[in-house]
Amino acid sequence: MLDFSIMADAFPNLLKGAGMTGRLSILILLLGMMLAVPLAYARNAQSIWLHGPASIYILVIRGIPSLLQVFIVYYGLGQFSFVRNSALWPIFRDPFWCVIIALGLNSAAYTAEIIAGALRQVPKGLVEAAQALGLSWFQTQRKVTIPLAVRAALPAYENEVILTIKATSLASTITLLDLTGAARLEVSNTFAPYEVFLTAGAIYFCITTSLSWLLRRFEVRLSAGHRNEERRVKEFQPVLPGIPDH
Amino acid sequence: MTMDWLSGYGLQLIFGAVTMLSVALVALVVGTVLGISLGTAKIYGAKPLRYSAEAYTAVVRGVPDLIVIYLIYFGGTVALTKITGQYVDINGFAAGVAALAFIFAAYAGDIFRGAIGQVPRGQTEAAHALGLSPRAAFFRIILPQAWRLALPGFGNLAIILIKQTSLISVIGLEELLRASSVISGATRQPFLVYSVAAILYLIITSIVSWGFRNAGIRSNRGFA
Amino acid sequence: MESCSSEGGTVVMSAVTKRFGSFAALKGIGLSVDRGEKIVICGPSGSGKSTLIRCINRIEKHDGGSIVVEGCLLDHRLTNIDKVRREVGMVFQSFNLFPHMTVLENCMLAPMLVRGLKAAEAEDVAISYLRRVRIADQAAKYPSQLSGGQQQRVAIARAMCMKPKIMLLDEPTSALDPEMVKEVLNTMIELAGDGMTMICVTHEMGFARQVADRVIFMDEGAIVEEGAPEQFFRQPKTQRARDFLSQVLH
Ligand SMILES: Nc1ncnc2c1ncn2[C@@H]1O[C@H](COP(=O)(O)OP(=O)(O)O)[C@@H](O)[C@H]1O
Ligand SMILES: [Mg+2]
Repeated sequence: MLDFSIMADAFPNLLKGAGMTGRLSILILLLGMMLAVPLAYARNAQSIWLHGPASIYILVIRGIPSLLQVFIVYYGLGQFSFVRNSALWPIFRDPFWCVIIALGLNSAAYTAEIIAGALRQVPKGLVEAAQALGLSWFQTQRKVTIPLAVRAALPAYENEVILTIKATSLASTITLLDLTGAARLEVSNTFAPYEVFLTAGAIYFCITTSLSWLLRRFEVRLSAGHRNEERRVKEFQPVLPGIPDH
Repeated sequence: MTMDWLSGYGLQLIFGAVTMLSVALVALVVGTVLGISLGTAKIYGAKPLRYSAEAYTAVVRGVPDLIVIYLIYFGGTVALTKITGQYVDINGFAAGVAALAFIFAAYAGDIFRGAIGQVPRGQTEAAHALGLSPRAAFFRIILPQAWRLALPGFGNLAIILIKQTSLISVIGLEELLRASSVISGATRQPFLVYSVAAILYLIITSIVSWGFRNAGIRSNRGFA
Repeated sequence: MESCSSEGGTVVMSAVTKRFGSFAALKGIGLSVDRGEKIVICGPSGSGKSTLIRCINRIEKHDGGSIVVEGCLLDHRLTNIDKVRREVGMVFQSFNLFPHMTVLENCMLAPMLVRGLKAAEAEDVAISYLRRVRIADQAAKYPSQLSGGQQQRVAIARAMCMKPKIMLLDEPTSALDPEMVKEVLNTMIELAGDGMTMICVTHEMGFARQVADRVIFMDEGAIVEEGAPEQFFRQPKTQRARDFLSQVLH
């Protein structure tokens, strides 16, 4: 049934698209992580002036489809002449950067929620013990809280990485030739949706599955070195296990 | 301007929202039935069935939703055209519902599997000891308890589903996002229009989220 | 096709074996229980007591030997299993009440689904047994709103509503706080007075003395000793039983 020659012909172009998907994913995850750490600390802060805005940001981002967020950045901002006249216009005119900004801001909210949850799970007793030993707040974070939180956050973050890679397919809706965009182009040339989309799907599947496998191995190695602590902090659970969150 | 909003555009947005909710609702119902079947197959099924169910979930988890939607929409068009011998434009609503239900089922299946696994084994044993058939034990004893455990994850999925309906805009169904795009083209005020849409989405997802939390509290009656 | 005959004892087990993987939980059990007989099974933890009584209503499948309950040979035939489970009630250590149903609903479920009673009839039956275990006033509550002792009495009533010929009880009092043990034991003693066949795993020696026709002592998957309660408690024949009793009684 399937025409394998169409698949073979489309493959090089799809691979090129996959390169774009990879670049987008890395930049989005980087931006997301940079914003997520301060957001997470703000979310857990005592002061309402910190955790209020952080919570609202996370709530709003999570309540709106990411595709709409992409459209607001790419189409919406151009409505304002001050944006068009600013030095940043070359960035906001460029679909590549628009996707990175929109999905980066989006990923930041989800990642912040993961990190904030992981930070909250670090047992209070351990923090108090560190402080009793005379460690400063900063030292306590670096030596106790963060190493424990990283391991608690990893399973959920792995999920976030996979979801982000999949979300980059939204770039195709604003003319970018990522893997999905390249596939659509091939389909309009060949009228062979099965062959092309199945090939594209297979490439996505290989990327996400192998990455997920790698991250899980990393997770296992990380926790293998900490067996004893694992037992001591028994209530440590991964945040939002297995539940997709986009 | 105000008149335009009150008469045409506002109504168009509302229609978009209604379309969105209908897609979501039908996909939710179909996806839930599929999801329970999938979760049940993963726990109780024979090996081939279990592995097929696992493979299904792995594929849906590993591939972007847009690819699934395109496959079903364009693939369906090609298939129908071949079968009928003339060009058939597949119904966007049906294709969208099918795609979203398939995606929903993959995740819902794992939530139900986890929930069914969490129901203590003694419950099944007690049901069998009382002479209930496996069917009755599942539907009367296991499923109602699993349902309660699945509810938070399920609510999360429902909200994701509502947001995913925006993806159907790529195959031309005039749901909320598509309606917003059309209006912003006409008004040349994309930021304003998309912001209104964003607020509508936010209101709807908040209401659904609140609803599920309430349902969660109510379904916990009888539980310590 | 009638697959059950009505001859012989109520429960007849011969050379019954059961493995969990490579571990032999039952190593050739032979046991015959007469109609109306009250049997108490005791023995150290892990000796296979639960496994034994769970084989009787096929909550656990035995691997070798044969089990005949109420004239039905327990094998792969589903009709036999259904028939046996209709005649055999079971009370669990952890109650296993259905938490999403009220006390009354717990008691009405099986009579309606399995015996085909109408709701009104099932309710009459349920209320009458709940009254007998002195908990009818709690009928509208959910199990989680009751104490452990009350829950176990509901579990007994739930099993009774099926009017079983045989009652299996697996350590019905060992998950209870000490002050609630008595109310459940009293209920069980009343039950015994009805003339029903009872097979009860318990370490409550007072209950065994008062009710049991026969005490069976198990260790390591086998029946090590059996006899009348007075004789068993006063002069156990085997060293293993002596060791066990000295631990339980002190
Ligand atoms: N489902 C099971 N899987 C594996 N081993 C089991 C299982 N159920 C019981 N066993 C083992 O069989 C042995 C007997 O168990 P059980 O009948 O529950 O003992 P008792 O009720 O006398 O304490 C124990 O060693 C137990 O670990
Ligand atoms: Mg036991």
